Amino acid sequence: MTAALECRDLWKSYSSKRVGLKTLLLRPEVARTSRYARRWALQGVSFKVSRGQGFGVLGANGMGKTTLLSVLLGIVQPDRGSVSVQGRVASLLELGAGFHPELSGRDNVFLYGSILGMRLHEVEERYHAIVEFSELGDAVEEPLRTYSNGMVTRLGFSLIAHAPADVFLIDEVLAVGDARFQEKCRRHLQEFRKRNGTLVIVSHDMEALAEVCDEGIRLEMGEVTDAGPIGDVVRRYQRP
Amino acid sequence: MIERSPWQLLEFLYLLARMELKARYKGRFLGYLGAVGLIFALAFVFWIAFKVIMGLDLPNYSVYLVAGLFPWAWMSMGVVSASRSFVANAGLIKEMGIAHAILPLSNVVQEMMHFALALPLIVAWVAIPGDYPPTWSWLWQIPLLMALQLVFVYPLALAAALANAYVRDIEYWLGIGFVLLFFATPMVYPVSMVPEGLARYFELNPFHALMECWRTVFIESRFDATHAAYAAAFAAVEGVVVWFLYRRFAPRVGEVV
Amino acid sequence: MSAHSLELLYLLVRKDLKVRYKSSVLGYLWALANPFAFALVYWVAFKYIMRVQMENYSLYLITGIFPWVWLSSGITQATRSYQNNASLVKKVRIPRAILPLSSVAQEMAHFLFALPVIVGFLMFAGGFELRASWLWQLPLLLAVQLAFVYPIALVFAVGNVYVHDIEHLVGLAFAMLFFLTPMVYPISMVPEGLRRWFELNPLHALMDSWRGVFLSGTLDGGKLGYAVACAALFGAVAWLCYRRFAPRIGEVL
Repeated sequence: MTAALECRDLWKSYSSKRVGLKTLLLRPEVARTSRYARRWALQGVSFKVSRGQGFGVLGANGMGKTTLLSVLLGIVQPDRGSVSVQGRVASLLELGAGFHPELSGRDNVFLYGSILGMRLHEVEERYHAIVEFSELGDAVEEPLRTYSNGMVTRLGFSLIAHAPADVFLIDEVLAVGDARFQEKCRRHLQEFRKRNGTLVIVSHDMEALAEVCDEGIRLEMGEVTDAGPIGDVVRRYQRP
Repeated sequence: MIERSPWQLLEFLYLLARMELKARYKGRFLGYLGAVGLIFALAFVFWIAFKVIMGLDLPNYSVYLVAGLFPWAWMSMGVVSASRSFVANAGLIKEMGIAHAILPLSNVVQEMMHFALALPLIVAWVAIPGDYPPTWSWLWQIPLLMALQLVFVYPLALAAALANAYVRDIEYWLGIGFVLLFFATPMVYPVSMVPEGLARYFELNPFHALMECWRTVFIESRFDATHAAYAAAFAAVEGVVVWFLYRRFAPRVGEVV
Repeated sequence: MSAHSLELLYLLVRKDLKVRYKSSVLGYLWALANPFAFALVYWVAFKYIMRVQMENYSLYLITGIFPWVWLSSGITQATRSYQNNASLVKKVRIPRAILPLSSVAQEMAHFLFALPVIVGFLMFAGGFELRASWLWQLPLLLAVQLAFVYPIALVFAVGNVYVHDIEHLVGLAFAMLFFLTPMVYPISMVPEGLRRWFELNPLHALMDSWRGVFLSGTLDGGKLGYAVACAALFGAVAWLCYRRFAPRIGEVL
């Protein structure tokens, strides 16, 4: 089974102090030394995800989960190590990043779809299915700033869910919408996996992770402290 | 990173520009006209100030003004709004891994759309008094100059966006810089009025070269090859310099924005 | 305005000034560099190229441009003040009238920083002398300009929340006004017929008052009175406008 996604020994740090122009021009040696506290967001993270697999990442906030996803997406370059991803990637990292509040839901679907890398005709073909899944109805013609948080996520998730992708990267967004909608999302993700789609999810929602993923890791201070079948990892996380 | 084919990139660019304009004018055509009208109003003010009050002696000064103001507005507003593009779209850059370079391009294209919309009005303005009738050559000269200006302005816009991501003040400096440049690139007076000693420096100004090209097309229906070549050469140099800057600084934009 | 509001105002202005100059190399000098750069460019453009004939043209420019920048930048910044602080407006109960005032106050702070330099310029470049009359004329003009600028800033700030076009218009409008309020040429150059209209411009009354004070220590009662009257009118309009439209800002933002 070919690996759809693989991380090899990822290291990523952030320096916490912003360098101003004055410092840069007048005292360049300061800018370069490690006087600035370096925080290691990722330390030697490695894992492999096969096609059709669901992979969960657990951990408290600030432990490196979002950094990991950013690195997987190629937004952030790791200091050390490498990432390889096979196939088209769709991600839902932040609620509505890329959504324009003044535009209608419909306009935003097309815009966001294009941001995700979809061709106009691809969005056209899927438009009705997207609107239906989101359960927005006529509200899709209204400007986005009139939507509740829940409506925005439903639209965002619906768009992602219908995007032609081989790999989904999702961060914490399974928790919005009522129980019924969440169930619908989970089922959709399961079906996605059955079609050989690969899933990487970061979430606090243990139930959802257990339902949708089969393997996972636990991140603590940027290090992988546990790995294996998702059920086991979750159980060990919950036992204090 | 999200992979994009060239077609997808073009579609994306088109959507970005169109959506931004749509959000800005909420589909009101009058909004568009208003923006265009404002520039004519500015030309009017300069005409009053310099021709009527200061007695600037130039035949058909109003045409001189209009032929320069619109391309200038495209350039300056394009670059200034582009400088904000990384900061304003921090979410897109950080969360979606979007290719940064396309954002400032969308701003420049938006302003180009304003310019294109204003063209019929500019042509009417120039043609109606009768001294400078439109000729068929405008049909190829204008698009050619638009392409030249696009290639000239985009690297500046990209550099501005990169700089502003790291040093937030740049936006402010730019707005002011363009006003200063406006007077230093003869925009409201002809370069002939510049005293001998200084004229040489004015001729070195690539912005002047570009604006002169526009004016010669509208006023003389001639394509000013020398100035165009100079502007193109400058654009090429810009392109190379900004390419290097982009490679060096773009990857970390996601962290500072 | 309550004591609490004044404290808040002070804090807001201080925060903005700090943020603005943190990554700026020039710091204090920036407040001056900007208007001086303009004055320099206009001086070259109009004295040497347009051949404006006027004695002490550079002083004419300097004494007008600094108050102008306070006015135009103050209003331009204020126009976006609600959008720039949207989360503050929507989530915290603050007297909303404070936000545009903070922009105006910021620019006034810049102007105050620049005052010693303007005076210095007058003395060293122009050979002028310090005048005792400045001790009351300058504060008076400061107060008049503040009373003049703030209502406009408030109306634009509130208006911009509902009609976003305003922020795009303001910049261009001031560019145009700059040439119509004689700022780079003396009003004497304006032909008879037009001059009447120029004199109706309250901005002219205000800016000319500044020049009068700096250059000759005289304060023209007529002009000042006109500026004050306009300020009162703007104040009334702004108050009405604020009462009517400000309460709903939180929803529209």
